[in-house]
Amino acid sequence: MSYKKNEDLDSGPGGAVMDKMTVFQDCIAGFNSSPIQPRKCRVLLTKLTYLLSTGDTFARDESTRLFFSITKLFQHKDIALRQMVYLVIKELATSADDVIMVTSSIMKDTTVGSDVVYRPNAIRTLARIIDASTIQAIERLIKTAIVDKHPIVSSAALISSYHLLPVSRDVVRRWANETQDTVLAQKAFPQAAYGGAAGGGLGIGPAGPASSFMTQYHALGLLYQLRSHDRMALIKMIQQLANAGSAMKSPAAVVMLIRFVARAIDEDRNMRRPLYTLLEGWLKHKSDMVNFEAAKTILEMRDSTDTEVSPAINVLQLFLSSPRFVSRFSAIRILNRFAMIRPHNVNVCNIDIEALINDPNRSIATYAITTLLKTGNEASVDRLMKQITGFMNDISDEFKIIVVDAIRSLCLKFPSKQASMLSFLSGVLRDEGGYEFKRAVVEAMFDLIKFVPDSKEDALSYLCEFIEDCEFTKLAVRILHLLGEEGPSTAHPTKYIRYIYNRVVLENAIVRAAAVTALSKFSLIDDASVQESVKVLLTRCLDDPDDEVRDRAAMALRLSATEKLIAKEYLAPESVPSLGALEQQLILYVTGGPDAASVAFDISSVPFISKDQADADQFRAKTMATLPILGASSIDSGSGAGSGGVSPSKTPANIGEDYAQKYASSLAKIPELQAFGALIRSSRPVPLTESETEYVITGIKHLYKEHLVLQFDVQNTLPDTVLDDVSVIANPSTADDGTEPFVEEFIIAIPRLTQESTGTIYVAFTRPSGEEHAYTGGIFSNTLRFTSKEIDPTTGEPEDEGYEDEYQVEDIEIGVADFLVPTYVGNFQHMWDQLSFETSETYSLAGVSSLSEACLSVIDSLSMQPLEGSETPLQNATHVLKLFARTLQGGKVVALVRMAYSAKTGVTLKISARAEDERVAHMVVGGIA
Amino acid sequence: MSWFWNFYDFILSLFWSSEMDITLLGLQNAGKTSLLRVLGGGEFTSDSIPTIGFSMKRVRKGRVNIKCWDLGGQPRFRSMWERYCKGVNAILFIVDSADPATLQIARMEFEALISKPSLEGIPVLVLGNKNDLADAYDVDSVIDIMNLKAVDDREVSCYSISAKERTNVDAVLSWLVSKAS
Repeated sequence: MSYKKNEDLDSGPGGAVMDKMTVFQDCIAGFNSSPIQPRKCRVLLTKLTYLLSTGDTFARDESTRLFFSITKLFQHKDIALRQMVYLVIKELATSADDVIMVTSSIMKDTTVGSDVVYRPNAIRTLARIIDASTIQAIERLIKTAIVDKHPIVSSAALISSYHLLPVSRDVVRRWANETQDTVLAQKAFPQAAYGGAAGGGLGIGPAGPASSFMTQYHALGLLYQLRSHDRMALIKMIQQLANAGSAMKSPAAVVMLIRFVARAIDEDRNMRRPLYTLLEGWLKHKSDMVNFEAAKTILEMRDSTDTEVSPAINVLQLFLSSPRFVSRFSAIRILNRFAMIRPHNVNVCNIDIEALINDPNRSIATYAITTLLKTGNEASVDRLMKQITGFMNDISDEFKIIVVDAIRSLCLKFPSKQASMLSFLSGVLRDEGGYEFKRAVVEAMFDLIKFVPDSKEDALSYLCEFIEDCEFTKLAVRILHLLGEEGPSTAHPTKYIRYIYNRVVLENAIVRAAAVTALSKFSLIDDASVQESVKVLLTRCLDDPDDEVRDRAAMALRLSATEKLIAKEYLAPESVPSLGALEQQLILYVTGGPDAASVAFDISSVPFISKDQADADQFRAKTMATLPILGASSIDSGSGAGSGGVSPSKTPANIGEDYAQKYASSLAKIPELQAFGALIRSSRPVPLTESETEYVITGIKHLYKEHLVLQFDVQNTLPDTVLDDVSVIANPSTADDGTEPFVEEFIIAIPRLTQESTGTIYVAFTRPSGEEHAYTGGIFSNTLRFTSKEIDPTTGEPEDEGYEDEYQVEDIEIGVADFLVPTYVGNFQHMWDQLSFETSETYSLAGVSSLSEACLSVIDSLSMQPLEGSETPLQNATHVLKLFARTLQGGKVVALVRMAYSAKTGVTLKISARAEDERVAHMVVGGIA
Repeated sequence: MSWFWNFYDFILSLFWSSEMDITLLGLQNAGKTSLLRVLGGGEFTSDSIPTIGFSMKRVRKGRVNIKCWDLGGQPRFRSMWERYCKGVNAILFIVDSADPATLQIARMEFEALISKPSLEGIPVLVLGNKNDLADAYDVDSVIDIMNLKAVDDREVSCYSISAKERTNVDAVLSWLVSKAS
């Protein structure tokens, strides 16, 4: 903890200037003096806490000296002094040695009557100083304190137990019964006894925590920790407490209970129905806090149905017109988050939300507007934009960023509205604002340029204006880079050269260097006069005072004199190294020691990615970022994969992630596979077994030009068995005409798989040759075959004789998804018009319960990129999904999926695909299972 | 008549009260905490729990207010003894005279303690506790085993006591009071 020290604060309590060393000396002298002067010592301790809490630290030996001198204060009985002593010991407990010394003294204080004011302090301090070897000594004492009738003592013991969990979980676990009793004990604050200013009593006035029942909250928190390893016990606890009705007095405890419910629902789908009923009940709880938490939990449940969601929405809708700011704020905030993924469900509140636009509280108004931007249709956008402009100046930067983000995702959703949004963005760019805000605006404009091609020219000129007077070097550099990238391909590149050169004249060295690089890219334009003037400008840069600027200018000049292709490769490369991989390789290289340093860094070991690929990745990341709830709820639930529905691993983020890169290097190391040539595509790993089985197998498909390699990662989870000669028998299906398109070539088996280890099997096939078979797929049924040998526990050696065994695992299918690469394209309609061959088909998906689920499964099974934000359905009855992809050969294919949902028949969809190649269009249309 | 002397002491203490600090040291299970309880006028109990660190107790004898620092005797606390001995009026070093096995260790710890320069000149009272047990050493044997005759730079006394039977406890108190400055 190191706070920036404020000069004014150096004069601490009482106005005296506090110097760390003076305080230290005073403390040592004061605490060791005899007799003790309690008043003086209290002042010294106060100064010490002040120093510690404002970020001063003491060296280890100083802390220890302080600590031991403080222990001398235990000889005085002054109550206030004792409390201060405990506060300071808690602070010093982590920085001083041998703090265990005070254990016996503290234990004496924790066994006094519960009306002694420092007893809770003593308990809390005890938890800080105890270590694992002595924790048994205080076990009884904490147990007694937990069940103490006084809520403050009980709370102190519960919280201390919580802190003791990392010290010794086993010991604390033994206190579960006491904790359980305390949850429902409803310890009221003993009112009458403490009304007066009794010196020895817990002097909290009548307005104290009389009705908060906070102990319940603390006890529940601890109980959860103690039971967290046992799911059944947790469920039991939740149900028992939820049905306890009015016994749950503390709203905070109920809120916590709701959070446990949320976790339980997330982990176990079977619990969903009974637990949902509980949540619904809590929507009617008398405490607002509980209502909000229940509503929030319902809305954040994964793939909830409209009927499940609507009671929660209704409750929040009521709060929207509450007279209290905080209720309105909470309600609109929850709705805002939900509107990001299911805008159509929030539609019903639109009238109430519109009323909030003019709310006196700007934060509420901001959320109201951004929610409306998400739920509204294209027509209402203009009106809302006008309203936003009206109050943009009244809100803080933080909320401005929220607004800008909302507008950015709106741009990607309604590209046709870009003009009005762009003018709005350029307007706010001119306003006052901090770096974070400006960055948000600039990023939004970057996205517009990238993904909404029509806005490019306008956006670029707005950005040019912005850098004319931009105080943030970082932003200026990024904008200059963008100008260099995009500028040369615009209609009037010369316009930008002037802006860029202005930077060279006026800015600091970092910006100048960036400007020179941007400038050099204009020298690639096929226009002699432009080339000449760029050359003149670059030559002037050679006189720059900064060497980096001069170097860049010299290099650019030199390159412009060489052949065009070479220059292009250096100035505007088509592909760039994957930055994450590059960083990792460099770190390995740098930390590799002298051996690694003796050879030059091998740049070819870093995978390169082309611009198109990078764009698609970025677009995916951007649209994903606007779906926070989906992202948040995808916490480890591999166990839910087999239980139907859409498992989180199938969110679009994972589609098209480049697995080929990941596996290319390991495959290249296998001599047999080298002959196959370059790896074209790898699929993501698919589990072929349940994750809890004895042998866990995942399959990965690798496509080569004429071959197919199936990779099986086999994990032997048995602790006492080795597997010999492990292989997989993969049987390809026969085609409709009776031929077998895939012919097995060879298999690389695992000679021995030791206990609890993982190995890899490769099975290679020849793909059907010839152009007509380019998209032929198939289904492989797989069987694991091995010889199982048990390990002799005495020698640790496996037995000589084993027995052969087989193990059936799930099939692998080679289908549409393996031949398509999701690719981003700016203009769907244009692409649609361009492609000639069209075919369509109608399907009915009975098992699908919502349009968004249908979208996900279509995107996943076709492996195509959703465009124009169409992966999020806006209405719950009908929806149009727009998809684009390239084949492995580079051919384009677009698909338009119109779907309709009704509760009776599920989702009906009609898919139309257009492609350059007839077969591709058929394949896509037929690819929906 | 004792109530009269108590009252007399009380009146005197209002005018001539004095304070003193003492520490109780010794190996674990020597009987430090039990002795302190008895010194303070409490009943002897055999089931006291080991002291973790230290505990502090006041004992009043006549006009003298004695602050007793009772320190834990387990090996991990022995290095901390010195911190609590600096500037005290007297050190009580308690040994279990019925346990020959620990006496040698006690002697080493004792010698290490009195060789500390910071504790120079502080009077020491060595107590052979548990003399109610049958095979306990007598006071002369304790003096021999602890090699007390070799200590020449300070005042050293040795008593054989029993906290359980209250044997010689008053003598200990009188010795302490005589060291009050």
